[in-house]
Amino acid sequence: MTQVAEKTDDEVDRPQLPPASLGYRLIRGTGLTLVWLGVLTLGFVAHQLWITTFFAKQNQADLAVELEEHFAVAEITEIPYVPVVPPGEDPPEVDPSIVQGAAGSPGLLRAESAPEDGVAFAEIRIPKLESLADGWAVVEGVSLSDLKNGAGHMPWTPLPGQPGNSVISGHRTTYGQPFHDLDLLEVGDHIEVETALGVHIYSVKEVHVVKPTDVWVTHPRSGAWLTLTTCNPKWSARERLIVAAELIAGPNAEVILGRV
Amino acid sequence: MLPGSTGVKIVTSIVLISMALIALHFFYEWVGNTFLDSGGTVG
Repeated sequence: MTQVAEKTDDEVDRPQLPPASLGYRLIRGTGLTLVWLGVLTLGFVAHQLWITTFFAKQNQADLAVELEEHFAVAEITEIPYVPVVPPGEDPPEVDPSIVQGAAGSPGLLRAESAPEDGVAFAEIRIPKLESLADGWAVVEGVSLSDLKNGAGHMPWTPLPGQPGNSVISGHRTTYGQPFHDLDLLEVGDHIEVETALGVHIYSVKEVHVVKPTDVWVTHPRSGAWLTLTTCNPKWSARERLIVAAELIAGPNAEVILGRV
Repeated sequence: MLPGSTGVKIVTSIVLISMALIALHFFYEWVGNTFLDSGGTVG
């Protein structure tokens, strides 16, 4: 009886195919390249639309807890009200009895210590906008990593509720897109910012588009202002949409408005 | 294509795919932050 050795996969006789022509190889290579480019593009779209938002919402849940803790332990002091003088303007005439009032007098502002970078210290709510009706945590700082988590407060501007121009930036189309519908705001709409001091209510006064290098939108202003900045148009970082709102109510509003 | 036994090939594949996905994630982040939505800061 003759034994026939079984052939391994490598030893199996396969029909010899004729060598592929150059044209065939070019078409095949181009097709595969296009398929991979399509897969990478779809992956990019999915990443920007859903993955960044998924992580941003996870971070927002964590920041909501952090915010409650911050509100509980924030150190609140009273400081004399010193009106902000915008560049190029003369200082306003100020009633000294109000500016230098005794503790508890209308001349004192409530203030909290500056939050550390990356820490959630406020929540912004815009009742008119669905994406911000329930609030979005604001962290200190506007680095890319800060803005992945929430809206970011520019550290070199005053905190919300303080005199001057407080600036908050946020993503428009990615990372939870908190400022997605900022263009729907109109003059007179309200923006609320809750800090450890309480809820500061601003009324929209200006909505406009500027270049990304127009830093004048962050310059100090007399009174108390909140400036929101985001990318414009949607899905492009070519311009900035700016919403400027003036403080109308809140823990410090009476003192500040009384002097403007 | 990959060396080693089946188990080694599976582990190597998982490591290589994970590294590729992480690299892709950072690349997508950079493209998104640069061209689509930088976070809206000025300056």
